[in-house]
Amino acid sequence: MKKILNKPESYTDDMLKGIYAAHSEVKYAADDLRCYCTAKKVPGKVAIITGGGTGHLPLFLGYVGEGLLDGCGVGSVFQSPSAEQIYEISKEVEAGAGILYLYGNYTGDIMNFDMAAEMCDMDDIQTMSLVGADDVNSGAPEVRRGVAGIFYMYKAAGAKAAMMGSLEEVYNAAKKAGDNARTVGFALTPCIIPEIGKPNFTLEENEMAMGMGIHGEPGIWNGPIKTAAEIAEESLNTLLGDMPVAEGEEVSVLINGLGATSVEEQYILCGNVLDILHSKGIKTSHVYVGEYATSMEMAGASITICKLDDELKSYLDYPVKTPFIRMN
Amino acid sequence: MKEFDISKLKGMFDAVAENITAHADELCEMDAKMGDGDLGLTMKKGFSALPGLLDEIQEENFGKKIAKAGMKMSSVVPSTMGTLMSSGLMNAGKAISDLSTMDANGLLRYLEAFAEGIAKRGKCARGDRTVLDSVSAAAEKLKAALEADPSMEIGAAAAVALQGAEEGTEETRNMEPKFGKAAVHKAAAAGQRDQGACAGLYMIEGMANYLQKI
Repeated sequence: MKKILNKPESYTDDMLKGIYAAHSEVKYAADDLRCYCTAKKVPGKVAIITGGGTGHLPLFLGYVGEGLLDGCGVGSVFQSPSAEQIYEISKEVEAGAGILYLYGNYTGDIMNFDMAAEMCDMDDIQTMSLVGADDVNSGAPEVRRGVAGIFYMYKAAGAKAAMMGSLEEVYNAAKKAGDNARTVGFALTPCIIPEIGKPNFTLEENEMAMGMGIHGEPGIWNGPIKTAAEIAEESLNTLLGDMPVAEGEEVSVLINGLGATSVEEQYILCGNVLDILHSKGIKTSHVYVGEYATSMEMAGASITICKLDDELKSYLDYPVKTPFIRMN
Repeated sequence: MKEFDISKLKGMFDAVAENITAHADELCEMDAKMGDGDLGLTMKKGFSALPGLLDEIQEENFGKKIAKAGMKMSSVVPSTMGTLMSSGLMNAGKAISDLSTMDANGLLRYLEAFAEGIAKRGKCARGDRTVLDSVSAAAEKLKAALEADPSMEIGAAAAVALQGAEEGTEETRNMEPKFGKAAVHKAAAAGQRDQGACAGLYMIEGMANYLQKI
């Protein structure tokens, strides 16, 4: 393992200390570094809280800021934050209009967010919960893992909340985005959890893993690496097979690097993806290329498409400003 | 009338911690035959921390105090069993948050809600060979007893609940495991008491040890 750090066991907290030192627009609640909150509370606005393990920046905490989310429970590398942390964040960011818990579909996160929701209920703080489950290759719709597609849910919920929508409206906006987003991901090299010190899986020099999850969950095949055009074609076949998009309909495209894949490669992939979509008569707008949900230094990428209408476009056009993400 | 109020909360959970600790090695040995072998440690760590957590929490309402301590306990023991026990405590505390003292009926509500909290979080049912089989059985037995004798004191009620938990744990000998590593050790489980059910039994025994003395 070759990483810039002090002690493997302080990886998460040292990262957080750096973020708080650099960015005064975020702070932590309950004297716990892992209770990450926006410093700017808007009275009467629905609060949105996410959470998950460390190792995916800008996911999850990078989405806390103007036009997006209000708080984030920060777990250790690839671990869920605790129910207590989520509850403390809830008390801090709740601004009189209820809270939406919006996070990825992982068992540990679900248990802890549900427990926090029960505690909030006792304090008469209203919560609703929604999970991102966009990874098509991870199983049937209800068991799918949440990966980069949660970007669209954050964007929709964040915009609706900033427009002072009600809790139900914010939930519905996020749900609509999630219902229309699908992702396929693939890995070329593994990443190393600092406290473990060894790669979480192995791939031969010429191999790739189609469908691998952002924690190294096994995918649908491991085999010789394909060209960008071949990867784009297989991925789009999977995506459009799961969520048909008719000729003339419009999609947003998110090409997401997993951490160690260059932006150059991401654009090569992007070109192939857009070519295929256009050849099918599918219109594209709101194309995003970059790192939105990573797995530390894993090489690889994911392709997300989100079917658009005027409502979803208005959410994507809404300006956002966080320490990690600025748009418009 | 013997009453159980917020002043006695710590005493009861001290007794639970004591009883769980006394049985920790036994739970670990049972668990090792079925899978991980850390059940006793998890239970001991979680329930030993509980009295201290109760002390820390500034809360006048004793139900809410139990619920909050339960939530904090899940941070101490973030394993499956820890989460299930925490969920039980949270749901139980919530269910009695309208009471200022707990009598036999309050104990029934507590146990029923504890079982419901586990069932909801663990998505398990009675008969699945889990901790639910002792906790639910305790509530069922107490419910029937209270219908026959509504004026039962809390100490007697706790004794009935303990008897129910004991019977429920005994019944797990003939149940097939459906969850966790135990599910792949079906042959080893046959005829044995379920270790999760035993964990629930020892928790209730701890409560009964205390409640029969007040």
